[in-house]
Amino acid sequence: MVGVFGFAMLIQYFVPHPLGRVLYGRVLEWMQVIFAAGLVLGGATYAMSHLRTVSGRREGWIYSLLALAALTLMLAAGLIGGIDRGTLFLWLFNNLQAPLQQTVFSLLAFFVASAAYRGFRARNIDAALLLIVALVVMLGRIPIGEMTGPFLPDLARWLVDVPAVAAKRGILIGIGLGSVAVALRVMLGIERAWLGGRR
Amino acid sequence: MNLAQIDRRWIFVIVFLAVALPLLFPIGLVGEVSPRTQTMHDLIEALPRGATVIISFDCEAASWPEIGPVAEALVEHTMQRGIRIIGTSFLSEGTALGFELLSRHADAADYVQGRDWVYLGFRPQYVAAILGLGESITQEYPRDYINQPSEDHTLLGAVRSYRDVALVISIADDTMPQYWIEYAGARYGVKIAAGLSAVMVTTFTPYLDSGQLQALIGGLKGAAEYERLLGREGAGSRGMDAQSSAHLAIIVLVIIGNVAYFRGRGRS
Repeated sequence: MVGVFGFAMLIQYFVPHPLGRVLYGRVLEWMQVIFAAGLVLGGATYAMSHLRTVSGRREGWIYSLLALAALTLMLAAGLIGGIDRGTLFLWLFNNLQAPLQQTVFSLLAFFVASAAYRGFRARNIDAALLLIVALVVMLGRIPIGEMTGPFLPDLARWLVDVPAVAAKRGILIGIGLGSVAVALRVMLGIERAWLGGRR
Repeated sequence: MNLAQIDRRWIFVIVFLAVALPLLFPIGLVGEVSPRTQTMHDLIEALPRGATVIISFDCEAASWPEIGPVAEALVEHTMQRGIRIIGTSFLSEGTALGFELLSRHADAADYVQGRDWVYLGFRPQYVAAILGLGESITQEYPRDYINQPSEDHTLLGAVRSYRDVALVISIADDTMPQYWIEYAGARYGVKIAAGLSAVMVTTFTPYLDSGQLQALIGGLKGAAEYERLLGREGAGSRGMDAQSSAHLAIIVLVIIGNVAYFRGRGRS
């Protein structure tokens, strides 16, 4: 089935026949229906998991209760009041969910600073090189670094745009070729591990 | 005092002060406008009045303090130029953020919903959605974000698919612009640009060099530079002060940490 659909989608890309367009449209719709069903399934599994924790009074059940309350509140707010401007849903999102997530994410700065202080040491040549590059890029990418003259910003830009991008480009090409190889193996039935079966 | 064993709460205090003080007492550090930011500005500047762009808010709420100023600057410039906007999002959190931002700027620019801008909202399975927009926008989104029939919007009567779209801008904190490039750009030939978080810039520079991406701006620095081109100071410019001092604080901490390390090693 995967082979049939895979090759059908591959062929329709190069053959602009009306039948191919119909098939293409249908497959796009199915993909979204399947994905949306997955979202519903994920939500239900999430709720069931927390319900079990609450009903069994397992460790941390109070947090599960909070998670269920938040889920119910956001669902009810969205389904009953809508998601337009001035609704409870958007207010809750803008004033609770977004700031909470931003707060948690911002903690990263503190841990990065602490980890850099304790772990970013020039223990050998490689580490020293990494350290110098990091300092140059950090300083060269901020206005204070630009105030020192053109050398530091230019060096920082070169480090980011040339060696770093060269490595990234190699990785991307590798990923691309690997994806084609894996896709062909899956479509030809050589690779079956993704089904949970034997190779 | 053993600097190598310093209580990490002191480091937290230093970072907090390095971020908070410049926000409370702005210095006004922005820096020079980079060629990349200038290219993005020129790209939008070159679009004719009345052209249509798709702006996709492909980001999470957590990274909004960094990516939000990028989105603000791009949307503001687009509306200043009288360019019509179709908003989408393929991440659920970006959906509400994008709607709020577009609505606010539309009010300020006297943009009429349905005629000058439309917000289509979230679609699951972004690959299928990106491909679907290339076939028919109204078929992909029969209803918009606030549940209005898409066919009722005059904008979507004129703009049927990527054929009628001048540019797609993906505001992203992850790899979503890659899908826009691979599926909308490669298959339908629409031009793609990106507003990215700083950490994603290196990932997308190869696409910029190959011409698959028309332009990109990254992070608070990109936003601050863009604000400078727009002739105003916003969240990006204000954030650059805090980012600069935080970078400096970390550089100083790393140097102190290394001095302490080598002193300790010398003794042992």
